[in-house]
Amino acid sequence: MELINSVLNLLFGTDPELRQIISITLQMSFFSTLFSSLIGIPAGVLVGANEFRGKAVLSRIINTLLGLPPVVAGLLVLLLLSRSGPLGNFRLLYTVEAMVIAQVLLITPFITAMTANLVGVNATAINETLVGVGIRGTKRLKYFLLDFRVPFISIILAGFGRSIAEVGAVQMVGGNVQYKTRVMTTAIMMQTNMGRFDFAIALGLILLLISLVVNTVANQIQKAAQGD
Amino acid sequence: MIELKDILVKAKDRLILDVPSLRFEKGKRYGIIGENGSGKTTLLRVLMGTVQPSQGSVGFQTKNDNIGYLPQSPYVFSFSVKRNVSMVLEDSQSRGRLARDVLKKVGLENLADSRGNRLSGGERQRLGLARVLAVPKEVLLLDEPTSATDIRGTDIVEALLQEWFEKTKGLLIFTTHAPAQALRMADEVIFLEEGKVVETGSPQTLFNQPQEPQTQAFLSHWII
Repeated sequence: MELINSVLNLLFGTDPELRQIISITLQMSFFSTLFSSLIGIPAGVLVGANEFRGKAVLSRIINTLLGLPPVVAGLLVLLLLSRSGPLGNFRLLYTVEAMVIAQVLLITPFITAMTANLVGVNATAINETLVGVGIRGTKRLKYFLLDFRVPFISIILAGFGRSIAEVGAVQMVGGNVQYKTRVMTTAIMMQTNMGRFDFAIALGLILLLISLVVNTVANQIQKAAQGD
Repeated sequence: MIELKDILVKAKDRLILDVPSLRFEKGKRYGIIGENGSGKTTLLRVLMGTVQPSQGSVGFQTKNDNIGYLPQSPYVFSFSVKRNVSMVLEDSQSRGRLARDVLKKVGLENLADSRGNRLSGGERQRLGLARVLAVPKEVLLLDEPTSATDIRGTDIVEALLQEWFEKTKGLLIFTTHAPAQALRMADEVIFLEEGKVVETGSPQTLFNQPQEPQTQAFLSHWII
């Protein structure tokens, strides 16, 4: 009972740390999903809509990157951004920017692969139809992007889900610094280790709530897009 | 107007198309007949350039932009029916009206505001034809344009193609598995079997006096 009271107090209270954690989590997830989508969707359309030499190899590389363990992505970014690393001068390690970079590395292959698979199923029929009415070259890509706009929302949403739930890479490059880079997943892990289950449960519930809100909004966007 | 020379299309080791020589003249309608897998679609794709032959050449006396191609199952975009047509029209001011006009011709004006991907197979084919006809073309390549349409839809498509041909005196090449349609619509019929041209001629000659045993066997299944 005490645990439930504590969770409710945190959820409906004004704990500054909790608010900060939620804010950093949303910022990080929003920007990493945005950048991953901006890279992954056009890249996926290019791969899925076209036949070219080396496509099979490229697809295999993308699919391999799908299985990239988050800690490996974290390690790579850590080495890049550490003081002695090639991008050390930017002093990005243990910042939200570093966490976004690591997540973009993880999520972009996922969005690219999902997009390429989605587009690839109908690519021949679409290309034939477009060529048949005189739409060729890069002009075609516009119609791929427009035609799949609704399923793209689901892909972006899945990318956001991956981003918000990821812990290994953000822990490595963010460092879980209080009020600076602490996000919900790293905070849940830390609070659980410290025995503060109320805080961990409250964060878990908020994670679920955010997921519900994002899904509901995306669902409404999909419905609106389908009815245009 | 279009000439094929020594065309060979292979998929792995399988021969798909083997056409040493074939010529299509402007001002004529060609009906390509043959069973499933005889190479009809591949021949159209080679003409359209969406399939590259392993060897041989395709010579055109027209620009690529003047060729319209309708696949057997035209893709319908997840826009409205009207936008599926207007997407090919460049003039932004008149394209809505032009799209409605061409949709009226194919009997889909009542569905102009419906979503394209909710159409039936026959309606999709008519929408595909509307899209191809929305922009003036000198050459039309149609892959079984009525394979999914009902009798009324077939009449609409055939009448529209007749009107297009009379107006443009262009080149019409279509495939069909129904010799009766070739008889109604073609000036010359090309019979394909296993990727090879077996016999060509006017529909009357080819259907009444087929010379080759394969043509005779194919036609024996049909009441024309």
